[in-house]
Amino acid sequence: MEFEFSIEEQTYKLQVDHKDGKYLIKRDGKEFNVDSQPISENCLSLLVDGKAYTVFIAENQGKKYISVQGEQFCIEEAKADSGARSLAESAALKGVPTIASPMPGKVVKILVAEGDRVKKGQGLVIVEAMKMENEIKSGSGAVVKKINFKEGDLVDAAVPIIELELEEEK
Amino acid sequence: MLKKILIANRGEIAVRVINACKEMSIPTLAVYSTADRKSLHVQMADEAICIGDPPPLESYLNIDKIITVAKERGADAIHPGYGFLAENGDFSARCEQEGIVFIGPNSKALRLVGDKVASRETMTKAKIPIIPGMMTKRVEMKEFKEAAEKIGYPVMIKASAGGGGKGMRVIPSPQELEKGIEAGMREAKSAFGDESVYLEKYIEEPRHVEFQVLADNFGNVVHLYERECSIQRRHQKIVEETPSCAVDDELRTKMGKVATTVIKTASYNNAGTVEFLLDKDRNFYFLEVNARIQVEHPITELVTGVDLVKQQIRIASGEKLSLKQEGIEQRGHAIECRIYAEDPENNFFPSAGKILFMKEPSGPGIRHDCGIYSGSEVPVYYDPILSKVITWAETREDARKRMILALSNYVVLGIKTTIGFLSSVMAHPEFAAGNTQTNFIEKNMSDWANRKKGRRFLDEALIASAVASQTKAVTRRSAVSEKAPGPWLTVGKWSIGEV
Repeated sequence: MEFEFSIEEQTYKLQVDHKDGKYLIKRDGKEFNVDSQPISENCLSLLVDGKAYTVFIAENQGKKYISVQGEQFCIEEAKADSGARSLAESAALKGVPTIASPMPGKVVKILVAEGDRVKKGQGLVIVEAMKMENEIKSGSGAVVKKINFKEGDLVDAAVPIIELELEEEK
Repeated sequence: MLKKILIANRGEIAVRVINACKEMSIPTLAVYSTADRKSLHVQMADEAICIGDPPPLESYLNIDKIITVAKERGADAIHPGYGFLAENGDFSARCEQEGIVFIGPNSKALRLVGDKVASRETMTKAKIPIIPGMMTKRVEMKEFKEAAEKIGYPVMIKASAGGGGKGMRVIPSPQELEKGIEAGMREAKSAFGDESVYLEKYIEEPRHVEFQVLADNFGNVVHLYERECSIQRRHQKIVEETPSCAVDDELRTKMGKVATTVIKTASYNNAGTVEFLLDKDRNFYFLEVNARIQVEHPITELVTGVDLVKQQIRIASGEKLSLKQEGIEQRGHAIECRIYAEDPENNFFPSAGKILFMKEPSGPGIRHDCGIYSGSEVPVYYDPILSKVITWAETREDARKRMILALSNYVVLGIKTTIGFLSSVMAHPEFAAGNTQTNFIEKNMSDWANRKKGRRFLDEALIASAVASQTKAVTRRSAVSEKAPGPWLTVGKWSIGEV
């Protein structure tokens, strides 16, 4: 079987052959002989070419959370284009850069107004989450097109708070 | 001894206090917000009462409600933990009025040391060295500007009412002052309910060294040596250790004496911590007294063998301190790493959500103080601390290596945590060499997120992912054929052409 996984937008292809209880896994021209034994629902014992690894794994909403010797990974199955997209995703696709909070929080201060021209690194909005204030900055020179929230509003993760229009690079 | 203790807190510290009470055979009463019904402290306590909605002001900071619950359920003492009401003078005064023992300092001392500006004034009079800065509270921007000019940039904004990095900001130049003061005041207001801030000279590349102190109600004071807490992000500690590499016996004796003088000057009782900044020329400046049990108290417990939470309870119940200064020794070395629900690759942004799976580290010299479990939720409303890993060994190097081992065996799946980042801090040659100044993370760890691109165990993680996906696909296929036969298989034998 073939698998395609993505970790932080980078994709990895793996070819898996299962024979006599062992796996032969190929990736990037490398071959691994793998013996895998389930230890519990969340734990696998891997012997990769004889080297022992205890791997912990949990799945939620299509994402695999994996921990190997203290290193953590969040792995998604790379899949074909799906019809449903979130507001943030569709905005990003249309080429409209948006400013969103990475987690649910409260808009404490909006530092710009619609129509403002902002520089790269300029603060746009301050969101409070888990008792800390976080200033969200502009990733590039842009014009503020639309502000979807006001101060005091609660926002969900990844919902655009501010929509920008990129300045032409000169 | 006390009859029943209400724990006005949540998370790992509430669990820590409940365990101490259990060992002392004192019944415990937990309080919780509606977001915390399934939290560990609720499960651990003998009794638990819901005190309101998730926002702290409606639950863990709701003084009236907490006092009412204490009286209704017959709790004669309240342990405030750290954060929330721990350093709130009104709360401790209210307990005093209501005849409830507040397990912490008396309200007068708490108000004095809690008001950072007033305590600076008192300590200056007692000839305690302090950092140059504002001696009074100000509200007008003009006054802040004048004070900043006088002190000289860079200056540091600090919340008068609190600690933990909240409201704290470094201001490198006059242009950033106004914005910084505004943000500092908002954060101070939301975290402590008091928006006052003040300015101080910013000391560059210092170490943060603090002394643990215990004082009974009869004027007996001992210190339990130092903790170095220089590894910080957002001015909030993330790694602590004791002893400090920068403190020798001579300096230790000198600083310990100053720490006990501070406590006596403030007529302070119960457990407290006297914080100092130590500059590279070994000058030290009094910062503030943390009037509470601290997050990092376990490292002191491991090197001195003294249970600080039990000491707090004994002192509060009116016992005399049985410890003598000459009997307190530092044995070996202890390190603490704080596990936060934060994304170290994204400027330590908090990360709430469900913990899908967790496995805690164990082994000789490994202690794990914890407020989470497999399946628990990390709510967005509170400080994102999850747990603390503390290692003890005979030497610093052994404790450091033991910490690397412990972190590599610590699994938390489903949310981002600081585990991997802390492991890199422990493995860093500058940490190993003891070069720990408060700018350690900026200086040594700023490329950490990038370096992770070629990270360790990538192949193994992908292999595990492939094995899991393959197993799932196979199980699904066999499940379909064995357990849920389709309609074409259930209609019976096919017959063709004949009726």
